[in-house]
Parts: sequence; C-alpha cells; structure tokens
Amino acid sequence: MKTINKKTVKTISCDQAIKLVFSYIDDEIRGTHRAELEHHLETCRHCFDRVAFEKLLKSRLRRLNVGGSSKRLRQRIDTLLEQF
Amino acid sequence: MGTIIPSWRQLDEGYMRLTQQQREEIKRLVLPLLDDLERFALSLCHREDLAEELVAATIASACESFGRLRDTTKAKQWLFRILSNKFLSDCRRQSRHKEIALTDSLEDDNNQFSLFAAVSQPFLLWWGNPERELISHLLDEDIQNALDSLPGDFRVAVALCDVEGLTYEQIASILKIPLGTVRSRIARGRSLLQKKLWHHARDMGLVKTKEPHQ
Repeated sequence: MKTINKKTVKTISCDQAIKLVFSYIDDEIRGTHRAELEHHLETCRHCFDRVAFEKLLKSRLRRLNVGGSSKRLRQRIDTLLEQF
Repeated sequence: MGTIIPSWRQLDEGYMRLTQQQREEIKRLVLPLLDDLERFALSLCHREDLAEELVAATIASACESFGRLRDTTKAKQWLFRILSNKFLSDCRRQSRHKEIALTDSLEDDNNQFSLFAAVSQPFLLWWGNPERELISHLLDEDIQNALDSLPGDFRVAVALCDVEGLTYEQIASILKIPLGTVRSRIARGRSLLQKKLWHHARDMGLVKTKEPHQ
C-alpha cells in the first residue's frame, strides 16, 4: 500500500500490471487502476520496460502511411465531385 | 487481395442521386477526410491501387446512403464504418485469410505472445536493451507486412487503434461491437502481430533466441 494525494494505492503484482499495459498505453484506464499501475511502474523495471516497448511499437504503427492521400486519388475524387 | 469493386462508375451513379444541397454537404464532409480514409485503407490493403478502390467504394456507398447520416459531426466514424465493412466483407468473400475463430473471450487474452518477453534480457540492466534495438532495426515495411498478416477483424481493430489513434469507444461505435470485444481484438491482434515480427526478426538474424512457446 502507498498513499498518494491522501488516497491509498494498492500494490499490484507484475501479472496484474501486465494485464493493464495495453489499456494504459492506449490511455484507456483512469482512476484507481491507473494509479495502481503507475505505482507499480515506479518500482518494477521489467514492467516499466515493457510499457516503454509497447509504446515504442505503437508509435511505429502510428507512423505507417503518413503522407496524405495520393495525388491521383485526390484529383479523381475532386474532379468527380466538382462536376455536380 | 483482389479488386474490391469497380467503383468509379458506381461512384458516379451514386452521386447523381443526391440533391444539390446534399452534394455540397458531402463535398464539405468527405474532401477533408480523404487523407484519413486513404491512410486507413492503406494500412488495411497495403497496395495503393487497392486502397484507392476501397476509398472510392466507400465514397460511393456514402453517396448512396447519405440520407441515413443523421449527425454530420459523426461523418468520420460513419465513413470509417463503411470502409471497414467493405474491407471485411471482401476479406470474407475471398477467404484468402484463414480467419481465426473470433471467440472474443478474455480467457484467450491471458495467454498471448509478447515480443518483449521473447526478446528482453533483464540481466543486461542499463547498458543493453535488445527489445528496443530490435524495433529500431525493423523497417516500416516489416511492420506493415506483419499487420497485413492479421485476420481482417484483428487488422481493422489494430489499425483503428494504433494507426488511426482512435479510442476504444470510437472503435466500438465504428464496428458496432461491445467495448470488451474491441479490447480483446486489439490485444489478440497485437499478440499475432508481435509473433509475426518475432518470426521475421529470427529469419533476418536479428534475434537468436529459440522460439518461445507462446
């Protein structure tokens, strides 16, 4: 147990933390679960590295196909829509 | 993946049914979203020509069913839903991918492959980080190929989450599935994607460990 902002945060295991990793990197957990995971990450290098790794891989996926729609597609759609 | 549909004629015919006001409205809604639509289509199809066809088919359907769009502030979600459905129905029609049974149970999520677990070497401590080195050695092409290898339902969920950066709630709304199913598909999709990357890394000599059991 640890007290953060006058609230008691439960200590969780690595197994419990790993189950929350995807929701955490997707910014989909709040409140108690988030506080518990962040408390765990402050004390567990292995899980901290796991989160960093998952964030890194997610960022690589985020970079795929950046660059905007192809000129050809935009011109064809533009032209067609402008005809009416 | 083969041709999705011969869409240009369909686009033209669909568009003709709109009123002038609808035409202006659809131009206002669709044109700013073209980049997003093609980016999403590319992450699903990989090939530019197929992605263009998918986007065009999506716009054709949007024109045909434009009257059903009640809330224009949700146009992006609506268009992404049309595009996802077209992609998935094409996947199923072609049956090119052997789809994994989508039981969507959380039970399956507890036993999944982790690239981090397969590659990390905790004893290296601060001065070694093989898992991050591995990611830095992977090309965008490698990651796209891994994404391409996923069954359609998982590919769509992972692409919407990781490539498009949408929330679980937005994905649930687009795919019309429960939040728990979104969570499950993303987790399982990532697991499969990471396993594919691990096999690729092994084939390229980037990792030397034996294949993990999971």
